[in-house]
Amino acid sequence: MALPQTLRASVTPPELELVASQQLIEIIPMISMEKTAFISGAYGPLRPPNKAKIPLWMAVNLKMKKKCHIVAPDWLTADYLQERLNLETTDLSFSSLPFRFAEIAKVILDVASDDVENPDKIRSLLKDLREARQAKSREGLRTLDHSELTLSNLSSMEINEIRPYFIQSMSIMTQLVRNPAPDPLGHP
Amino acid sequence: MDFDYFSIEAILAENQKIQCTFKHAIPGMGHLGGGTERDIAMLSKIQIPMWLAYTVIYSDWADFNIPAAFGSKVRNALKAEACSVRLSGLVGAGGLWYGFGKTIMDILREEQANELSDMLTKAFRDRLVEVIDQAQHFAALGHASSGGGLSGNSAQSFREGLDTTERDLFSLAQESAKRTKNWYENNDSKRG
Repeated sequence: MALPQTLRASVTPPELELVASQQLIEIIPMISMEKTAFISGAYGPLRPPNKAKIPLWMAVNLKMKKKCHIVAPDWLTADYLQERLNLETTDLSFSSLPFRFAEIAKVILDVASDDVENPDKIRSLLKDLREARQAKSREGLRTLDHSELTLSNLSSMEINEIRPYFIQSMSIMTQLVRNPAPDPLGHP
Repeated sequence: MDFDYFSIEAILAENQKIQCTFKHAIPGMGHLGGGTERDIAMLSKIQIPMWLAYTVIYSDWADFNIPAAFGSKVRNALKAEACSVRLSGLVGAGGLWYGFGKTIMDILREEQANELSDMLTKAFRDRLVEVIDQAQHFAALGHASSGGGLSGNSAQSFREGLDTTERDLFSLAQESAKRTKNWYENNDSKRG
């Protein structure tokens, strides 16, 4: 294989960011633009001060040129994240968040932190969330066996981080575990 | 760790020696044990490599003993505290403790094989969390390969005792954690 070792096991975080950038997001444009056809579809028209839905990559591009304000998704608020964090620390399972929340939150906070209320608070909440969830996936590792693993509500970035070694560990276990003799009582 | 024909690890795992007790006298084959005698005498104990042992054992020319690396001493040590056993020191060059164990497991009879499998699986699972924890710790330090003396003695001795299979996992986890961390921390990339 021609790919370097590090790229074989999983995709890279920037690639995930690219994928997440296809998602639609609301903006308040400051320029007007007719409906325009792109490869992924037609977006627009942009009519200030009406809100419009365009892909994240386009919103970032316009934001960089100061031609729009990004409307943060309703989950990207300090209150909502605080509530998720409370759930995360009290409940044993992962709390449910949008699948690509890490990527989208980071992109928005990077380019449009002035459009978000209380960006520093949100940053620290996201960090706490990440740590709380990491501790849980570590617990998942403890209960790992050769055949299956269920960690629901795990987000794409988290899956990507643990994928290489979870897969490897499971394949090693598959080698080490012998197929159990069929149980006479019919248990699996 | 797959035991594919082309897997170097499988070849290394099969290169470990195993002690066989010959049931028949075999003339002219004394060189197998590396000794100077010309013949293999009946009931003589000879260390032969695993890849050769398959044929000898399956053809019922010899019996074999479970190597000390998987014997009761190691078993008890693993039961007491899996993380304090230095697996790499138990087997020779290559340090494929799990790989060697797997090859032994495959030639054992049912109940013994199950017992060995349980031991390998349990040891692997008990050590796994520690392997990943340390890998992530080292990824967080940033200069992974040079950070030997930073943590406690037991952590260092654990790292030195990692079996090759675990070493691979360590580097996978470290690489992945490092990449993700870089992404989270890097906020001026290409935009701007």
